[in-house]
Amino acid sequence: MTGEVELTPDAIDPAARLAAFTASLSGEGAVVSFTGHARAAAKDGAPLASLVLESYRGVTLASMRAIAADARARFRITRSLVVHRAGRILPGEAIVFVATAAAHRRAAFEAADYLMDRLKTEAVFWKREEAPEGSRWIEPTDADRSAVARWEAATWE
Amino acid sequence: MTDGKEARLQIELCGRLADPCGRVVEIAVPDAGLSVTAMLAALEQTHPALRQPLARGRIRACINEVVAPRDAWVAPGDLVALFPPVSGG
Repeated sequence: MTGEVELTPDAIDPAARLAAFTASLSGEGAVVSFTGHARAAAKDGAPLASLVLESYRGVTLASMRAIAADARARFRITRSLVVHRAGRILPGEAIVFVATAAAHRRAAFEAADYLMDRLKTEAVFWKREEAPEGSRWIEPTDADRSAVARWEAATWE
Repeated sequence: MTDGKEARLQIELCGRLADPCGRVVEIAVPDAGLSVTAMLAALEQTHPALRQPLARGRIRACINEVVAPRDAWVAPGDLVALFPPVSGG
């Protein structure tokens, strides 16, 4: 069984998602959740009108499923939920919601961290920042790449 | 279908690849199909504006929702897309 994964064009309500996730558990001791929001400004500080996340047919969801399956194989979690938004997203709106549950906190923390690092670099999305002056395609940053590389190093320890 | 005849193939262009010519382009391909490499060459020839974005490299071809190597075969009717490097979520 893999974790639950969802790709949606609609707004995500992180509080409602967390409540539903928690309600579905069966006695686990730890729940960790993370919500990523669209920033109000680009890296250079310029204000942003919106962020557009383009996905491709079934391939985007398949990439999210593969990442969720890896997390479940790697950490002692009992459940995971990944909800990702696609389309035009306004500053402050949630882009991604991740929740993990485990008997103990360490696995839940690590699995959520791992899910986010992999989603941020490998999930099949093309991201564009739209500003009043025009739009710009975004690629993963060096920080995103080093974040995901931490887990690769750990695999061979 | 007869040997030597041509068919039309639609190619979906993802991310920044859609900037020069739009999201979907169409090229003529042999009825029998062609390799990904040959498809890219044909695309550059008919859509010169894509030459530079395609030459930036790290472009992956996706056939019927599966990423495919350069020697994979594309047939008319296949669902074909070209991916620039993904940005992640």
